[in-house]
Amino acid sequence: MKVSRWFSWLMFFAMIATALAFSPGAHANADVEKNIAKPGNWAMQAGDMFNQRYSKLKQINTKNVNKLQVAWTFSTGVLRGHEGSPLVVDGMMYMVSPFPNKVFAIDLDTQEIVWKYEPKQDPAVIPQMCCDTVNRGVAYAEGKVFMQQADSTLVALDAKTGKLIWSVVNGDPKTGAVNTNAPHIFKDKVITGISGGEWGVRGYISAYDINTGKMVWRGYSVGPDKDMLIDPEKSMTWTDGRMQPVGKDSSIKTWQGDQWKNGGGTTWGWFSYDKEQNLMYYGTGNPSTWNPAQRPGDNKWSMTIWARDVDTGMTRWVYQMTPFDEWDFDGINEMILADINVRGKPTKALVHFDRNGFAYTLDRVTGELLVAEKFDPQVNWATHVDMKSGRPVTVAKYSTARNGPDVNTKGICPAALGSKDQQPASFDPNTKLFYVPTNHTCMDYEPYKVEYTAGQPYIGATLSMFPAPNSHGGLGNYIAWDADKGKIVQTKAEKFSVWSGSLNTAGGLSCYGTLEGHLKCVDARDINKELFKFKTPSGVIGNVFTYEHKGKQFMGVFSGIGGWAGIGMAAGLQKDTDGLGAVGGYKGLSRYTELGGSLTVFALPN
Amino acid sequence: MPKSFLLLRIFSVPSPCFLACVMAFMVGSAWSQSTPPPLYQVLEGRKVDAETMKGFRAWRAGACDRCHGANQEGMVGPSLITSMKTLSKDEFVKVMADGRPEKGMPNWAGNPGVMNHINQLYAYLKGRSDGAITQAKVEPLP
Repeated sequence: MKVSRWFSWLMFFAMIATALAFSPGAHANADVEKNIAKPGNWAMQAGDMFNQRYSKLKQINTKNVNKLQVAWTFSTGVLRGHEGSPLVVDGMMYMVSPFPNKVFAIDLDTQEIVWKYEPKQDPAVIPQMCCDTVNRGVAYAEGKVFMQQADSTLVALDAKTGKLIWSVVNGDPKTGAVNTNAPHIFKDKVITGISGGEWGVRGYISAYDINTGKMVWRGYSVGPDKDMLIDPEKSMTWTDGRMQPVGKDSSIKTWQGDQWKNGGGTTWGWFSYDKEQNLMYYGTGNPSTWNPAQRPGDNKWSMTIWARDVDTGMTRWVYQMTPFDEWDFDGINEMILADINVRGKPTKALVHFDRNGFAYTLDRVTGELLVAEKFDPQVNWATHVDMKSGRPVTVAKYSTARNGPDVNTKGICPAALGSKDQQPASFDPNTKLFYVPTNHTCMDYEPYKVEYTAGQPYIGATLSMFPAPNSHGGLGNYIAWDADKGKIVQTKAEKFSVWSGSLNTAGGLSCYGTLEGHLKCVDARDINKELFKFKTPSGVIGNVFTYEHKGKQFMGVFSGIGGWAGIGMAAGLQKDTDGLGAVGGYKGLSRYTELGGSLTVFALPN
Repeated sequence: MPKSFLLLRIFSVPSPCFLACVMAFMVGSAWSQSTPPPLYQVLEGRKVDAETMKGFRAWRAGACDRCHGANQEGMVGPSLITSMKTLSKDEFVKVMADGRPEKGMPNWAGNPGVMNHINQLYAYLKGRSDGAITQAKVEPLP
């Protein structure tokens, strides 16, 4: 009797233990975690779920990187902007091209194309992609490759054969809801956003079941609380020096009338995930239209950093960086999660380099605002962020709303491109610094009234962008940033905006691409020591990545000028006082690059 | 009577209005075909008539600058300053209605803000291309 009772207690505890082992709180996605734990893989777009873009590989290092040479190359067969990067998982490379979004699976032993998948999409989608026909990459988990098509269809493909497993429509391109982002796998969900802020699309982020493609939840960026998955009492925001509940109708109260229905707040950037908190982090884009006079109010929750529970989508906390945007400073840039000291205390931090020129450090658990400082001294639309209210203190002269529609507000810094756009920064756990690819441009911005027609552009401003005056003369900088002190620690001037995602490695390197087409590696401890430079076939707007195959380390990056840099910079960068044509910046870039579409992979000589 | 005598008789009438009418009549009828009204009217390179203003607003409604440049100088899409020198009116209307899908230009058939003022948009762009309108942003004639 005693033995059997003891035995049943044992069984009971064993069951509890088993249940706990499979409980949601502790898991990210076993397969993804296994893949990213191998330093030889590059199994997620950012290398990991924290968006750190750091590799433990060190075969290529500061002492030998000058010997790096081209190991192999691959043309995607597609022109226009090549953003994102391929993934490498266990000897196979997976990538997707710009529209028409061809997916390739390449065997790294032979560089043969094992399979290729090209979806059928209506080319009418192309003109609805505001800022080039980019696609920021595939995701991989559990033997499936996930790709987010431009026409908003999300697909899961068998990683061995390329066969379609499931597909789901994520948006309605007839309204301008198209996609450019990479999907991300967190736990058992495929997370993907939506584009169309320039078409009056009301933004949202969605989670689909990894096995079936069934939508599990969707959280809107603006509108009624239940649409946004906001709990008025439990969803918190930083205000008045502390975290407080956002309260009822926190979004609708900040819009006039029905304007929120075409309110923007799209979600086309990068996503990160902390499994300990079970929170995913991302930012929302600009409110719609670009004419602020048509949408008075804070326009919450556009331009906002969000933390959502990945199982339910419920909002844990939010922080709006640019209330009542007047400049198109989309808040969608990556949220880098890093455990660093802030104000002397070990902090689970979230660090974000925003389009608006401010770098924010928040506590990613609570959502408290810790640091908010300019990462380009030329930023002038606000003097600083008031740390108590969390609100930027704006400058009247650069307020396009105050100056009004049909008035050209001049000399605003940064330009709408931002001090940094989607090109992601990296974190180096060795130096505890962030390595940031930046733009150094300003703009004249003239808003005007527009009418909404579904599926038509709903923009309402015309812009002219130019190099930041009285500066080093170039259009970009690569910087090393201290997210505790909120300071630029080192800066390296670049001729053009640095529009590529950076990579840091245990080999002491920090690498990025340039718009002229170079892959560059600098010393992470002194970024002005340029250790390697190579001109690839076309301007680089992709993200540098690295992997190991059969004991050899490789480093690669896409070439293919485009994105908003290629469109907006290549011709938009002039001070057009006589209206007769492009000068300066445009002619400059066109001296260095044409369109392209290829991958270059480097390694040390044998 | 000799012609010169007739002319003398006409020009001896002192009224300037009469003279102006005669001049206009002579210019208008004797030496040219009947001229159509001007496509656009512009003063100081940037002040335009009400119809051409509508064309400018149609340009803005379509946000055409995002492909053709803030001053029609070209970006992803070609310079309209150049294209409009060779596109006929009919070709222009067709391109606007059908788009150039292979090149990424949408068709504007579904955008009343643009298509309802297609003639005025043509006039505005022609004015830019001719160089008579010297910058994209125009204002009404006084």
